Amino acid sequence: MLRGIGASQGFGIGRAVIIEDVNLDYSAVKYSGADGEKARLANAVEAFTDETRQMVEELKKSAGAKEAEILEGHLTMLQDPFMLSQMNDNIDAGSVAEAAVDTVCTMFYDMFAGVDDEMMRQRASDVKDIRDSVIRILLDAKSVDIGAVEKGSVLIAKDFTPSMTSQIKKENVAAIVTEVGGVTSHSAILARAMGIPAALSVINSTGIINDGDLLIVDGFSGKIFTDPTDSQIAEYTEKQKAYLREKESLNIYFNKPSVTKSGAVKKVYGNIGKAEDAQNVVQNGGEGIGLFRTEFLFMDRDHEPTEEEQFEAYSTVAKTMDDKEVIIRTLDIGGDKDIPYLAIEKEENPFLGHRAIRYCLDNRPLFKKQLRALLRAAVFGDIKIMLPLVTTVDEVKSAKEIIEECAKELEGEGKLFKRVPVGVMIETPSAALISDLLAREVDFFSIGTNDLTGYTMAVDRGNAKVSHLYDAFQPSVLRAIEMTVKNAKAAGIMVGMCGEAAADPRLIPKLVEWGLDEFSVTPSSILQTRKNICECE
Amino acid sequence: MVSKDFTITNKMGLHMRPAQIFVTAMNKYASDMNIKFNGKNVNGKSIMHIMAACIKFGSQITVECSGPDEEAMLNEAAGMIESGFGEE
Repeated sequence: MLRGIGASQGFGIGRAVIIEDVNLDYSAVKYSGADGEKARLANAVEAFTDETRQMVEELKKSAGAKEAEILEGHLTMLQDPFMLSQMNDNIDAGSVAEAAVDTVCTMFYDMFAGVDDEMMRQRASDVKDIRDSVIRILLDAKSVDIGAVEKGSVLIAKDFTPSMTSQIKKENVAAIVTEVGGVTSHSAILARAMGIPAALSVINSTGIINDGDLLIVDGFSGKIFTDPTDSQIAEYTEKQKAYLREKESLNIYFNKPSVTKSGAVKKVYGNIGKAEDAQNVVQNGGEGIGLFRTEFLFMDRDHEPTEEEQFEAYSTVAKTMDDKEVIIRTLDIGGDKDIPYLAIEKEENPFLGHRAIRYCLDNRPLFKKQLRALLRAAVFGDIKIMLPLVTTVDEVKSAKEIIEECAKELEGEGKLFKRVPVGVMIETPSAALISDLLAREVDFFSIGTNDLTGYTMAVDRGNAKVSHLYDAFQPSVLRAIEMTVKNAKAAGIMVGMCGEAAADPRLIPKLVEWGLDEFSVTPSSILQTRKNICECE
Repeated sequence: MVSKDFTITNKMGLHMRPAQIFVTAMNKYASDMNIKFNGKNVNGKSIMHIMAACIKFGSQITVECSGPDEEAMLNEAAGMIESGFGEE
């Protein structure tokens, strides 16, 4: 069994087709004089343009107009007269057409790749794709005809470029496997748009797997079974059928509003931990983001993230969500997490210790850096700030003062920013019990049922001897939730839930009855949750 | 030569689409365009050079036009940049 990243859901069973990289070595090409090379280049550019136009049309049909835009961009880039004239200058200086294309494209590749910006890195891979295609045309090298593979093929390649994916006929391709790339790579986005299961970053897959091997690809877990038994094939065939049936039954909820039978309008949002996960929320029909955990920005590194780095991450999410609501939780860390550069003291009871809002209020420079980045990013969308582990009204007042202080500073510096609504996470019994008082200070609540259950029941869910007590259905937890929702309603503020309980089909009818406004769940549960809400009275 | 200072107001900055619209319009003119940004000179008629400059939301740029139709070129450029290229 091989293992990669599950990047597009579903199970694919089929025969391997290895897509070898085309050999683009042009060292044997002889210089045919400046005019000859310029004519070769002009012909190749024309052939590239025709080929790409055709691919754009095919891609519009198989994956949609948005995906086709990437390839349309390739046309625009290569048609830049200044890029072409630089290539011709290289030819005048004695380069063959291939070398001219290589030199100029590589120069732009380096310029784009050197910028710390996701969009620019995408442009870098576009330039590389253009270079490879034009050199391939100049050398008249043939690549495997991806469009001509037989039905039930599992395509295996180092990576898929936009020009390769555009040739894929989805009815013939059972799954896609690559050696590089993650869930936000071009291959992953295309695979999801076409509904083809994909396992990416499967190390050395083109070497280990042979042409014609029978494979099962699990696009959820990224597993690949290289020598499947008959019973595995039967099992996964059944799983794929069940998956497609379920997907079909949920798909009708993709564009539907989240409205109950009696007409109450709810919102179903997604929870994310990384900026790039926002894409998952959009693809699963989420109406916004109810919880963006910002801890990841601070973990697995040796120094604090700068205000700019944070600004980049927050504004990326705001832009991805396109003016939909994005609730961002400020840093929620404590003695249980090992972040060396923050030097948080080890504590006897980290979950009852110096953590989250408590830690941030005592470490103002760190807190302010995050708040400034949030206020600046708010210009790009509908960002709201959420404070974690609140237990007193004073904590909220202090945090709001610091937020205002940041706003004034930004104003003084002439920086662009926006003042945003501030809410609290209700995840301690204390916060639930004073939710009437907290409601006067904030613009919204979000109930964090995971911690609320743990703190209310005084139970560590990881301890097998007591974990049976960890249950959101305990009357005490339900009462805390009900009280919070009713106090929010009485004060006229929005109340949501971002714990696992928000996706629990047994609890949803109760939450609807009490008047919960927003349900924030893991992206893959969004449609199921909307279905459950729509079926409520 | 004529020149003017601007601040980029569309959220996504001068990415592919606005750069494309801009460059197509500017190539109608005989004059040359130089965009000063971050201490660098960027050819205003080249989409590749504009994109590579990575001109973002809030960036300060100076547009310089020189040639027979420099006034008209700068006018149209100003209109496009100030309207945010029709984007938000």
